[in-house]
Amino acid sequence: MAALIRARGEKRAVRRAGEAGKRIEYLAFVLAGETYAVQIAHVAEILRVPPITEVPRAPAHVLGVISVRGKLVTVVDLRRRFRLAESPMDRRSRVLLADVGRGEQIGLLVDEVQQVWRLAFEEIEQSNVLGGEQPAHIAGIGRPAESGGAILILLELRPILESA
Amino acid sequence: MEGGRGDGTDKARDEFLSEAQELVDGLGRDLLTVDEALKRGKLDAELINDIFRAVHTLKGLAGLFGATRMAGLSHELEDVLDDLRLGRVELNQAVLDLLFQAVSLYGRILAAEGGTGSDPAEDVEQLLVALGQFSQRRTGGGVGVVSQYDLDPGLLGVLTEYEEHRLRTNIQQGQGLYRLRVRFSLATIDSELDELKAKARPHGEIITYLPTGSGADIDTIELEILMASRASVELLRSSITGPDVNIDEVRRRAAGSGHPGGVSTPAPPRAPAHDSIGPPTRVGGDVLTPVPRTTGGGAQAQLPPPPELPPGPKHTPSLVPSVAAARAAQPPAGQEISLRSVSQTVRVDIRKLDRLMTVVGELAIVKTAIANLAERVRNRAAEARELSIELARLNRTFERHLAQMQSGILEVRMVPLGQAFDKLARVVRQISREHGKDVNLVVTGAETEIDKLIVEELSDPLMHMIRNAIDHGTEPRDERLSVGKPPVGTIALNAFQKGNHVVIEVEDDGRGMDPEALLDVAVRRGVVTRAEASELSPREVLALVFMPGFTTKEVATDLSGRGVGLDVVKTNIAKLGGIVDITSDVGIGTKMTITLPITLAIINVLLVELGSRLFAVPLANVEEAIALDESQVRTVEAREVLTVRGASLPICRLSRLFGVPLRERERPRAFVVIARVGNRRLGLVVDELVGQQDIVIKPLGKSLKSVRGFAGATELGDQRVALVLDAAALIEEVLLPTETRFLAPAAEGGRN
Repeated sequence: MAALIRARGEKRAVRRAGEAGKRIEYLAFVLAGETYAVQIAHVAEILRVPPITEVPRAPAHVLGVISVRGKLVTVVDLRRRFRLAESPMDRRSRVLLADVGRGEQIGLLVDEVQQVWRLAFEEIEQSNVLGGEQPAHIAGIGRPAESGGAILILLELRPILESA
Repeated sequence: MEGGRGDGTDKARDEFLSEAQELVDGLGRDLLTVDEALKRGKLDAELINDIFRAVHTLKGLAGLFGATRMAGLSHELEDVLDDLRLGRVELNQAVLDLLFQAVSLYGRILAAEGGTGSDPAEDVEQLLVALGQFSQRRTGGGVGVVSQYDLDPGLLGVLTEYEEHRLRTNIQQGQGLYRLRVRFSLATIDSELDELKAKARPHGEIITYLPTGSGADIDTIELEILMASRASVELLRSSITGPDVNIDEVRRRAAGSGHPGGVSTPAPPRAPAHDSIGPPTRVGGDVLTPVPRTTGGGAQAQLPPPPELPPGPKHTPSLVPSVAAARAAQPPAGQEISLRSVSQTVRVDIRKLDRLMTVVGELAIVKTAIANLAERVRNRAAEARELSIELARLNRTFERHLAQMQSGILEVRMVPLGQAFDKLARVVRQISREHGKDVNLVVTGAETEIDKLIVEELSDPLMHMIRNAIDHGTEPRDERLSVGKPPVGTIALNAFQKGNHVVIEVEDDGRGMDPEALLDVAVRRGVVTRAEASELSPREVLALVFMPGFTTKEVATDLSGRGVGLDVVKTNIAKLGGIVDITSDVGIGTKMTITLPITLAIINVLLVELGSRLFAVPLANVEEAIALDESQVRTVEAREVLTVRGASLPICRLSRLFGVPLRERERPRAFVVIARVGNRRLGLVVDELVGQQDIVIKPLGKSLKSVRGFAGATELGDQRVALVLDAAALIEEVLLPTETRFLAPAAEGGRN
């Protein structure tokens, strides 16, 4: 529930920015053939996949921990988190270092990083166009006009960690 | 959310908060001293002045930073304190209660200002009302006592209200009055005066001092000092020595011949007192010489109800500032208290030190890599022999400097335990007053140093333990008297360093814990079965109070023992890598002992391998590591137990517990790392022992906080990360179902 309220908060922020005529930058990446995107303001860094140390008894979607310049970062496998088919990492795999609030950064393992999209308010649809109750981590659908029909699943980061 | 404060402002604000917090902490300490002094019936007036000054500084700070609630509280407190130091209000426990309340409110206000607490508006209002009522209840001072002394009215006329109060108080206490004439060199008067004060202080109180203006050559000044003391004139003469010191006693007049009117109200200063410096008018044998007052910048003008003095005439320029400066350092200091800090210290956010520590950790990794490289070069290239020697030498230098840096940073993180103890003293006072029990807190080893982070985390567990000791240990006064104990209970808080650990003991002289009663409750609560209970040693029985589920208020009172949340204490201490132990004798008292590592930042670990993965076990928890002899493993009630030197050791196969896949090729043999926390032992079965290493332990992120069994992780080099096992948590997890069965034999003196 709390996650939903926060997700709404993000949507409100998106709306405000839209009303002000500003565009919001999203970083698009691929997971199991689908294109997802997160606000680039939340992404601190994009890393090649470093050696990951597994943490026994951690939740299934947690791949393990890595050390980024002396700080420990938990890495989440977004495929597992979204219950998508798993595939081995390859040379295009990346870890997005994302700020998730609570003073913590987490790593998100993605198949491939694509590009940055600057979305205007009109280019963002509410998540309920997908019908009914959507998971809290889906903030909306992005349809960048200049892309000629690309669809971005816009993600809200905090709920990803909260209910697994 | 509501608009940005600049970074600069934030920083200044942080600075304000920490400075204010320091002042408030100091205030609490001073109040405790006052409390103690009051109980002994011997109050040092200077203490009240210190408190007054601290509150005054707080008020100034609060004003600067718009902390209106704090400023308001400080203002009201100042009034009360002023009344106290001027003797208009009598200092008693009730006033002291209000002052202590104010200290805790300051704490809450600061927390609210810092965004970590709610604004205690209502409580502040209440206290303000209470304080206001207090300043109404002023007592009249003693009248006329001063007039019994042969003091010059001209001098009395220029005493400040405070000085007059001190004079009166001292006379009422039956102290003698002495007049000291001391010649100072103008160049060094400040330090000489301080020296003199230090010499005089053990014997009494200096009430005032004034320049005599007599016989002064251009480089010296003679001061006339009025001092109250119980000592004889001979004693004073022998202890307050100096080439230009003369001491006389001020005689008491014969009864009835007192100066009419006394000085209970400040007399208007007499005109002669403001004559320019000239030959003193001598008014008879032993009478004080009337002297002009330097009123130029003296503190007296700033005392709240200032005796209205007409501006004094201009004196010799060189004289005014030095005397004024000397006087400003005297008790009745006023507004001129500087906000500038005078200490040579720098306040540093602990997080900055953490970052530095991280860098040092990184450097340690680099060092290891260089050492490896040096080794490889040495083995490889016969032709590069010199280079390799050079490299090895550089590496050793690097290693040495790195070690220095590491210990330097660790040293900076160390703070005296007193930081946590000060707060406890306040708690003791509060609880003992709430419960109507007289308790003395005796602290030793407050200077023992420990990592700042640990100190922060210690306050709550210690408070809990002390609360328990007073609540359930210390008997009420009557009961104590009936068993022949001193009426006032004692709680000893002892700290000392022991190797790489700091030991803190909380010991009371209360009624102790009755093992029979504890067992009854434990069985009733289902913590142990009757059968298990019969096998427990007395020590094991006491340890039951730390078991979760054992502890409810109701149980504790049933028992007239302890147990309020002691499991929480144990958990919190365990989080710091420490242990709690307990001993108790019925009728004599109870002692709880906390053993903690000195620092959390760097620990020595044993690296072990499970499958192909590295894990670290803190060496502080490792008793020994032995090869696993499978033939010595037995199964007792579905639990594997190894026989080591005739004693049973429960073992845990970590690969199985963690679900780590085994290597294809089964190893010829495995190892057992015997972990010990407190008096419990567990053998951790691992595939390989890799070696020892100093590591910087880092916490796992919040998203992994629900994962049990790991204290954190550490980077080993080439980006590899090893998880650090939490021995206490593992022992807990593995042994909990049969908790009390596998207590360490050593602690029992052998169980062969």
